[in-house]
Amino acid sequence: MTRQSNDPNGKLVMSRRGMLLSGATLLAGTLAASLCPTISLAAVDTGAQSRFMQLSSLLINHQLNPDVGARIAETATGEYKNFAGMLDAIIAIAEQKQAKTVEDFFGDIPEGELRDFAHWVIFAWYSGCSSEKRNAKVFTYEEALTFKTTSDILTIPSYGISGPNLWTRPNLPLSAPMPTF
Amino acid sequence: MVTKTSADVVIVGTGVVGVVIAEQMLDAGHSVLMIEAGPRVSRAEVVENWRNSPLGVKGDTSVAYPSRPWAPHPMGGEKPEDAYLQFSGPDAYDQTFIRYAGGSTWHWAGTSWRLTPEDMRINSLYGVGRDWAFDYETLEPYYVRTEHKLGICGPADRTQQWPQTGTRSAPYPMPALPFSPGEVKFTEVVKTLGYNNIPVAQARNSGMPYDGRPACCGNNNCVPVCPVAAKYDAETALHRLEKKGATLLVDSVVYKVETSAQNKIEAVHFYDQHKQSHRISGKLFVLACNGLENPKLLLMSTDDRNPNGIANSSDQVGRNMMDHPARSFTVTTKEPFWSGIGPVVNSGIMETSQGSFRSEHAGAYFRYNNFARNRFVTFAALKKGLVGKALDEEIRRMTACTADIVAAHEILADPNNRLTLSDKKDWLGLPKPSIHYDVGDYVRKCWEVYSQPIGKQIAEAMGATDIKISPKFNNSKHIMGGTIMGKDASNSVVDVDCRAHDHENLFIPGGGAMAAGACGNSTITMVALALKAGDAMVDQMRGA
Repeated sequence: MTRQSNDPNGKLVMSRRGMLLSGATLLAGTLAASLCPTISLAAVDTGAQSRFMQLSSLLINHQLNPDVGARIAETATGEYKNFAGMLDAIIAIAEQKQAKTVEDFFGDIPEGELRDFAHWVIFAWYSGCSSEKRNAKVFTYEEALTFKTTSDILTIPSYGISGPNLWTRPNLPLSAPMPTF
Repeated sequence: MVTKTSADVVIVGTGVVGVVIAEQMLDAGHSVLMIEAGPRVSRAEVVENWRNSPLGVKGDTSVAYPSRPWAPHPMGGEKPEDAYLQFSGPDAYDQTFIRYAGGSTWHWAGTSWRLTPEDMRINSLYGVGRDWAFDYETLEPYYVRTEHKLGICGPADRTQQWPQTGTRSAPYPMPALPFSPGEVKFTEVVKTLGYNNIPVAQARNSGMPYDGRPACCGNNNCVPVCPVAAKYDAETALHRLEKKGATLLVDSVVYKVETSAQNKIEAVHFYDQHKQSHRISGKLFVLACNGLENPKLLLMSTDDRNPNGIANSSDQVGRNMMDHPARSFTVTTKEPFWSGIGPVVNSGIMETSQGSFRSEHAGAYFRYNNFARNRFVTFAALKKGLVGKALDEEIRRMTACTADIVAAHEILADPNNRLTLSDKKDWLGLPKPSIHYDVGDYVRKCWEVYSQPIGKQIAEAMGATDIKISPKFNNSKHIMGGTIMGKDASNSVVDVDCRAHDHENLFIPGGGAMAAGACGNSTITMVALALKAGDAMVDQMRGA
């Protein structure tokens, strides 16, 4: 895990490469821990969360915050009975395709429960919420990926990226490069 | 002297109207006690409430201001039968306001258009609606005082100011805020159609601190809360008032106005959050607790001398409820506009609110909403099933290339648009407000023959590839009418100083007094009326 220089909040952000590499290690650790009768439920949950981060990094081609991921995973555990099985299944598809980006394997995820779950994970990271509804669980506001796609020009409302009267600038064309995040 | 039970001036409500009057009276040496139904909270708490709300409901301002059981206010997502506001009639008077210390300027946009001289003579000039009881030139000095009191920025160039008619006796205390790239582009587009998109006068600090508050840094969150208080809200004045000696009671719901044998106001009664009743006496009383709560309180306060409620011998209390019925055009464009840079409302086309057509139908004001579009487009982009680079690009495109244009209409005072007391009760057992509302043919005809065609014309000039029009009139949350002003006590509630015709020591300033509301946001006029009422109160206390 490395501290990223472009993390505005100074929080730990796991790089995509680091996440993919560490996923296997964490999975092995989790499996070993599950054989130990004294292991706590929290440790098992940590393993599932790590597995969830591995899946997330396969579904999303960006750096992801594990703290946010832990919150999403906690909700997913409650809302998807086959949470662990779906994690394994989608990761297995990606590994079989030796996927480096989501585009490499997403089309291979079968329609139905697995595809819906994959979309929900993407939804959660981009919107920062569990659903569109009023009673949605909120995983993050300022780290919702929707704001990252426009961070070169728009503030996240209530935060500031400008100074007094300093927002006059040329209009940015759509051809401008996507921010790196 | 002021105590917890008595003061020279008792003010019900701690919003902008109550606050400016309180300061006037304190500066004149009078004791002031203010009573607020709801809680007092920190700005940080409000900001966190909003940030922690789901993306799908961030457009609902009430998520930042949860109401307290004893002081309900409209909350989004309520079932109609459970909602605080009860409706009847063809249109819902679905307002947003909050019962918190500091009042609803917590979540206003800060937009501060003056009325025009013509707006105030709509009956004389166009034969519709009601004239104001005085003219624009009478109100103009109070507009100037309001602009300096609240810190309203605006252009120095007379051709860019509103209104173009009538006097402007002093410049704005701060220059206009700069336009964002999208606003520059929108201004250029509408210019090709012959319309002038001018800088909005707004209660936001422009390029400099003002009144102890910092300069706007474009946080793009004026609604529902400015995180740094660069936008004026009345909460920012409460500490200053307390330093000047004001007493502030919170979580105290006034439910009754008491009269003396001479039919003067003797006291107000409030429930605390434990449902215990208390009595506050005073010399002068001000009801400044919102355009809906004021008439509700008056109607609840019946006695033998006032069987229809306080200040209601004319039967006009609760009537003439007005707003600025609005329709929006959500436009998808080929080229990016990038809404969301700078404050949320920064410009407008006001000239379309004026003209001889007003004898036939309403005028309308058009504005380019400058809210960042992420929260409006993210779910739609996700529903397309895209992933990876395609998803990123679609969110970015939709954020850049969609925009909301809003047409806000002028409604006429109509006594049938009326607030009454519902038979449904709130947590304290007090009646909920019930409002019958119809935007009326004057507005509907405008939409059909004037504002909708103009809106479509603008959208097409913007390069629209898609236009979605809101299916019904929405409320602008500009509560007006209800305690309407007039010279004739038989058909109005308050006089030219917002003093109740029926009670010489009761003042009901604010939007409720407005006889005509035109198209521009009402707060600046509410405050101008408050300052005028404050002058009258100082004179009255002096025995003048």
